[in-house]
Amino acid sequence: MNNSAQTQSIDPALYATATEAIRAEAKRVLEAGTVAAVVGWQAGRRKGSALPAIVTDPTKADTLVFSPACVNNLALYLTKAKKEIRQKGRLAIVVKGCDLRALVGLMGENQLKREELHIIGVVCPGVQGRGEATMAAKCRECAVHTPEGTDVTVGSLPDLPRFTPVESEELARLEAMTPAERWAFWKEHFARCIRCYACRQLCPFCYCEQCLCDRNRPQAVETTPRPAGNMAWHIVRAMHLAGRCAGCAECERACPMDIPLNLLNRKMAKELKELYGHEAGFEVQEKGPLAQYREDDDQSFIK
Amino acid sequence: MAKSISEQNLRLLIDALVSEGKRVIGPRAAGTMTLYGPLTTGEELSPGELPRRSAKECFFPLCETILAYERDKEGVRVSDVDSCAIPETVLIGARPCDVAAAPVLDAVFSWDYRDEFFLERRKKTTIIGLACTKADDACFCTAVGLAPNDTKGSDLFLSPLKEGGYRCDVITEKGEALLAAHGPLFADAAAAEPLPLAEPTLGKLDLEKIRSWLDLHFEDPLWEEIAERCAGCGACAFLCPACHCFDIVDEGGEKKGVRRKSWDACGFGKFTNHASGHNPRDVQPSRYRNRIMHKFKYYVDKFGERLCTGCGRCIRACPVGIDIAAVLEEIDRKGARD
Repeated sequence: MNNSAQTQSIDPALYATATEAIRAEAKRVLEAGTVAAVVGWQAGRRKGSALPAIVTDPTKADTLVFSPACVNNLALYLTKAKKEIRQKGRLAIVVKGCDLRALVGLMGENQLKREELHIIGVVCPGVQGRGEATMAAKCRECAVHTPEGTDVTVGSLPDLPRFTPVESEELARLEAMTPAERWAFWKEHFARCIRCYACRQLCPFCYCEQCLCDRNRPQAVETTPRPAGNMAWHIVRAMHLAGRCAGCAECERACPMDIPLNLLNRKMAKELKELYGHEAGFEVQEKGPLAQYREDDDQSFIK
Repeated sequence: MAKSISEQNLRLLIDALVSEGKRVIGPRAAGTMTLYGPLTTGEELSPGELPRRSAKECFFPLCETILAYERDKEGVRVSDVDSCAIPETVLIGARPCDVAAAPVLDAVFSWDYRDEFFLERRKKTTIIGLACTKADDACFCTAVGLAPNDTKGSDLFLSPLKEGGYRCDVITEKGEALLAAHGPLFADAAAAEPLPLAEPTLGKLDLEKIRSWLDLHFEDPLWEEIAERCAGCGACAFLCPACHCFDIVDEGGEKKGVRRKSWDACGFGKFTNHASGHNPRDVQPSRYRNRIMHKFKYYVDKFGERLCTGCGRCIRACPVGIDIAAVLEEIDRKGARD
């Protein structure tokens, strides 16, 4: 097991090859007019950084990159929260395996049509976490290195060591807590929340035009950054995403206050798998288990 | 007049201030990060890392109650917050990029309506700034006209010395008073060598040229190019030492409740939403344009200062990698071409 998983230890040539292939494909589809824009990543000013890019000009296709800094789940830019981008016309998008799960989920929710997208999959050995060269926690237990069902897939996978499953360990620690301990754990984390809503804004599934938590007539959840409202906001968020969250962990990555938000999502996902055998983002499915009623649903919890 | 203070005495100074009943705010370890927070002993001071959030919350808290109401058969009673409850405060170990923002904010909180909540806290706070010896690739204070040893906003200013301890410069009368009250903890400054200052890598920006370009380019394709990717969260504004927009909401019930003021951000989609439903900044690029215009043009036009101290927090925190220093470099280049 490898506890100090480093993205640096992955051969840079793999990223360089994937980068070339993404550029070539982007150029091809833009030149052919198959798509109006390609949503990918480009390098940032700071060494080793990358950011989302929306390329419409084929001569700019060579600004696209794939590197360990390509952390963003670009599915965000295809949601109705980003109408301006969808208005450009037919889109191509570069996705890692984890990002693709969000696209599949969005198709299930009738937010996207498969035939309207050109999906460029990239085989991903892992991207970096907060500590620059360290591999993101989600990547250490990744089961979707190679995206399936794309229009084209680029890149190849190196032999990866077995990483320490930090996410599972964290979840096991949470589950071992008593309800009082768990309450205290979340209370402490949510007390740090500043209500910047980076978690919501980065989530591909938070595309509601009117978020319940922004309402003020009447107010449903206190909007001020105080313990009661913070707790309510994060519970609403977790419940609204249960069965829909495709595990990209963008909420947690975006949080400037280091709140382990994806832990909550993962707990919900685990419960849904155990109770309903449901895993979000693997097949286009209109309704998740929390959005439908069936006669044979387990009702033993009603006392 | 320069003095010096040993590391140990600096911590004793904090202990002494706390025992006098003052609120002492400084960088302290908070889980995975450093935050400005109330110090209960000198030992808690942890000046090594730039705190994740800026020091503005010393004067402009994340959330504060500004009035309370109660309603019964007799009618409605409204009670104000007692500003006497705001404690005498010492902000210690704050970086120049945080401290310099305080006098910049004074202008907006006092030019028309006087925001007593902010101003009372400012009046009751003494600031001990600390020279910065560590920059990362997001830092750009020197590019916006500040310096790692800028004393702007400080009452006393500490510069770490190679041999340990700090040189202490007196900047204002407030600082002088604090020093006089704790004289025995300070010594006369010897000719000690200071630690080398931080060296942000971004070159100097031509801020006047940037402002002139902004004057003429309210409409420009640049805004879409940069901000199409903006996700519309408030991380940049909330971590910024100079952003100061706030929201006011009444929270509570029909019988009683409070009016609260809390941080707001121009990146939020509903920030400019009118009651009519019309939203003049209806897309993200127009919101991001406002962020840049406000910091480098509107505030400069009105108050002669920029709303940016180059602390780099927005760059580090932006979940979609928007880099304000890169944006300014780009505008600087464009300014040269136009």
